[in-house]
Amino acid sequence: MTAPDRRPPAGTRPALEGLCAALLDLPPHEARVLANEVAAMSRRLPSHARLALSAGYATTDALSLLHTGSRLHRLGAAQREALVDRLCAGTGTADLVDALKVPVLMTHGALYAGPEMIARLTEPPARPDAPLDVTPSLSWPSRSLADVVVIGSGAGGAMAARVLARAGLAVVVIEEGRRFTVEEFRNRAALDRFGDLYRDAGATVALGRPPVIMPIGRGVGGTTLVNSGTCYRTPDDVLLRWRDEHGVDAADPVRFAPLLDDVEATLQVAPVPDEVMGENGRVALRGAAALGWSSHPLARNAPGCGGMCQCAVGCPRNAKFGVHLNALPDACAVGAVILSEARVERVLHGAGQATGVRVRRPDGSVLEILAPRVVVAAGATETPTLLRRSGLGRHPHLGRNLAVHPAVSTAGWFDERIDSTRGVLQSVGIDELHRSDGILIEATATPPGMGSMVLPGAGRRLAEQLGRIDHLATLGAMIADAPSGRVVGARRAIVRYDLAKADADRLVRAITAMGRVLFAAGATAVVTGIRGHETVHSEAELVDAATHARHERLHVAAFHPTGTARMGADDQCHPVDAAGRLRGVRGVWVADASVLPTCPEVNPQMTIMAMAQAIAQGIAG
Amino acid sequence: MSKGMLFKEVMSGTWQPVSPGTAAGRACPSGGPIRFDVVAETPELLRLFGTVSGALSGTLSAAGLADHVPATGTIEVSPIEHRRIRYTVDFPGDDGASYRFDGWKSIDWTHVLSTWTTLPGTITGPDDRIVATATLRFAWRDAPSLLASVRVRGTRPPKDPVELAGRRWNGRAGRLEVWYDTFTDVDTGTGFWLHHELVAPSHPESPAFARGWAAVFPPDGRPVWERFGPAPVGDGPWFSSGDEVRAEPGVRTGRAGSMQWDLRYEDRSAPLFTFPSAAWHRELLPAAQIVPCPTAEYRGSVVADGRTYELSGARGASARIYGHGNAEQWAWLHADLGDGDVLEVVAATPRRRGLNRLQPLPVVRLRYAGRDWPAAPLAAVRFRARLDLPTWTVAGRWGNRRLHVTVTQPEERCVRVGYTDPDGAAATCTNSERADAHIILERRSSGGWVLEREWSLDGTAHAEVGTRP
Repeated sequence: MTAPDRRPPAGTRPALEGLCAALLDLPPHEARVLANEVAAMSRRLPSHARLALSAGYATTDALSLLHTGSRLHRLGAAQREALVDRLCAGTGTADLVDALKVPVLMTHGALYAGPEMIARLTEPPARPDAPLDVTPSLSWPSRSLADVVVIGSGAGGAMAARVLARAGLAVVVIEEGRRFTVEEFRNRAALDRFGDLYRDAGATVALGRPPVIMPIGRGVGGTTLVNSGTCYRTPDDVLLRWRDEHGVDAADPVRFAPLLDDVEATLQVAPVPDEVMGENGRVALRGAAALGWSSHPLARNAPGCGGMCQCAVGCPRNAKFGVHLNALPDACAVGAVILSEARVERVLHGAGQATGVRVRRPDGSVLEILAPRVVVAAGATETPTLLRRSGLGRHPHLGRNLAVHPAVSTAGWFDERIDSTRGVLQSVGIDELHRSDGILIEATATPPGMGSMVLPGAGRRLAEQLGRIDHLATLGAMIADAPSGRVVGARRAIVRYDLAKADADRLVRAITAMGRVLFAAGATAVVTGIRGHETVHSEAELVDAATHARHERLHVAAFHPTGTARMGADDQCHPVDAAGRLRGVRGVWVADASVLPTCPEVNPQMTIMAMAQAIAQGIAG
Repeated sequence: MSKGMLFKEVMSGTWQPVSPGTAAGRACPSGGPIRFDVVAETPELLRLFGTVSGALSGTLSAAGLADHVPATGTIEVSPIEHRRIRYTVDFPGDDGASYRFDGWKSIDWTHVLSTWTTLPGTITGPDDRIVATATLRFAWRDAPSLLASVRVRGTRPPKDPVELAGRRWNGRAGRLEVWYDTFTDVDTGTGFWLHHELVAPSHPESPAFARGWAAVFPPDGRPVWERFGPAPVGDGPWFSSGDEVRAEPGVRTGRAGSMQWDLRYEDRSAPLFTFPSAAWHRELLPAAQIVPCPTAEYRGSVVADGRTYELSGARGASARIYGHGNAEQWAWLHADLGDGDVLEVVAATPRRRGLNRLQPLPVVRLRYAGRDWPAAPLAAVRFRARLDLPTWTVAGRWGNRRLHVTVTQPEERCVRVGYTDPDGAAATCTNSERADAHIILERRSSGGWVLEREWSLDGTAHAEVGTRP
């Protein structure tokens, strides 16, 4: 691992320094340090994101020149503050400031809170790293054979690999990312880990109005490395819909229940213990109780969780029981091998039959594995892309029907100390509105800057908020959305998501609901994320803010993309049949979130694993 | 008809053990060079849009692992359908264990030159675990020899003398098809010649007919011969002339004038393709000759000139000719060299305008030491023939061998038979089944030629020379 290059991109250094100083009201030397870190972080981003950021820095600098006659970094504190206020007041410029705040706040949080988070790690890991047979692609022969190739080592791929390996098949699991160890999670800075653990360093964005941030994990274990660990059994009404409307026999609740039981046992799912709940969760429980709403500590796959609140950047205690600690070692124990740092370039096929995969190594060389069965579990954004570049993307519905389970955050200011980073990242579920409105509220406290929560304002106002960030409690809400997105592209995934009006309305309702919970819990003010009404101090103001919410300006994130290769009985609408077989070719199965016919309406980890298990059992016969 | 292909390929490169020092149970920290010399044989022609599998055989050398060991395996050629040419080769290691190389060229049509010549693969040990990786490359300097080694061959007929004995003529005008047998009673030195021919005249309205002759060459007198036919072409897949003469696989019966014969023959050896099988099956040449039964033994009786010859193991051959007619001039030799060895020579000048000015082109096939030489039948075109009577010669070389054949047909041991082509042209064949032949096979060694074998056939060679008036 080479040290990150701290030099900012050429030509943007003064602009970036000025921006850092302006956004967080920092003195020049601190702004320079922060700018260097932001620049280092930016280097991990894909080129289009880097270009966009550089353009953003330059635009801000140009606006400064336009409004004040000086470049941003030459302005005095008062002039800077005035400029920032002016930019935050303008419609377009406020969007620009919000966008640029994301990398700056994330870096700032990691820079100042990161060392403290590492220092807090006094207890040893809950368990050692699991024994995995992992070989980096550079050490893998250029030609090899397998009975089954499983593309992707996330929830779906790991479970499929385990079933197939236990059936006696020679399984190779191919993972684009690398293996991460608990040692790395304990010793490396959160920002560095963030950059490594996510595809495009976390900068995956679904294009649309509003754009949707969609972080996707990449490493041995897939997104289970970085998810919150929340485990929901698939709701029966969702399963019935999949069975009855899509013809997925495996989704029959009676047949699916044992699969979910097995997944629960594999993941050692249990409710969040009170001692690691954290104040953020207690606020949620308190607010819900005051409203008389149904709430509960979330069930999680984190036996031995110490409440480090670092789920999103890899658990430093190996407590979160991702598939890299259970299903994958189980598979390796019966002969499966994992090929890491290997991007599958295409699924090989001929005469209508899959024959293997062609894989590109980090150095650009290629290797090929011949196998008569290929299980694609690359995730809902990568699976359709891979199939397309393999020449298997002819089905008109492949890449369509993307549901993302969009999420918004709302935070509340409390007089008492919350310190949301002490405790479980996602701790409490409030499902009062789940059945009626498809709104699932979860108390979610991400490390500073890494959540979808964007604190309002800039300059001194933002700095003041950051100064008392330990009084902020954060809730998130996800809504069961219509499949209104699509993944296009063959070389790389381009995600388009047009939030449906009904779904946007529900997101606003979710903001209102979360605000009510926070006020009920004793919040003095609530940060809504609604432009022009960022901070409200009463429920009446909250309701008023909701009426003024403009859908396209919501801050939306999504963590559960599904449905881009949905399974079902209708060969016209479902690219994958009810048994998980890709239509149009023999020997290719899909076993990840992309096969889920609709949004599962809950955190999908268990659903994906159970469905992958069902599909793999069909392959193994 | 299904066609097969054969080609030789040489690839070399390097191999590396996956765990240094463990491969083949010996210290071999850095692998070493590896080389294949394989012959690939496919049961059908290679197809650009399709997949063809075939067999590999040859030798493999991998320094420290296997030293020039025999290698067998399979090849799968699928340049577009699977974009892959896969080689699976099994070979014994120097340590006695079995190893398998499995690799494939992955064809990328945007990098066709490099991907068509690079063969990465793995070597697995007896327990199917990968013990080494290897990358071999085909050197472009070997391309000419690969191309020269390509052979197209029929897949079914070469192995089956019965099928080769089947009638080729399919009703087209201007064709001549011949079944002929020549054999020698080794006890008495008597030679025999049975000639059956189906003539389809060039004039399309003239019906085809069957005819032929039989000849006996006793050592104590002048040869005698008599014709049979012409008669209508009989039904069935073989030759028959009226009710009198039949030439079926293993059976020769008939009557010609005062002569009669009732013979059975069998031959356990493989057919000898004097001309490439493609020339035989696809009529690539004006005419072609093959020998379905090159070392046959004939049993039965022949009555000629008032004498009855009882045969019980007469040595000879049953041969076929099919084409547009007889050559402008020609010579033919069949020499049974004993121990299953046989030499077949045809030297001919075609009748086609322009080509008829050429010197006779010899085609030579020598079955010797279990192989048919030259490996490429047409390689013998480098031979030279001097046709004359009573003595004619053919000489030439292929590879590191040289052959010199001298045939003598004393006039008193010959019959002169008038031939008529499908177009009505006449030729004269001077034939002797009691000819002499002297054959010298030499091999190049240390810059000179060393005698490898020498055969002298006194009165047991079968030969003829054909001329035009």
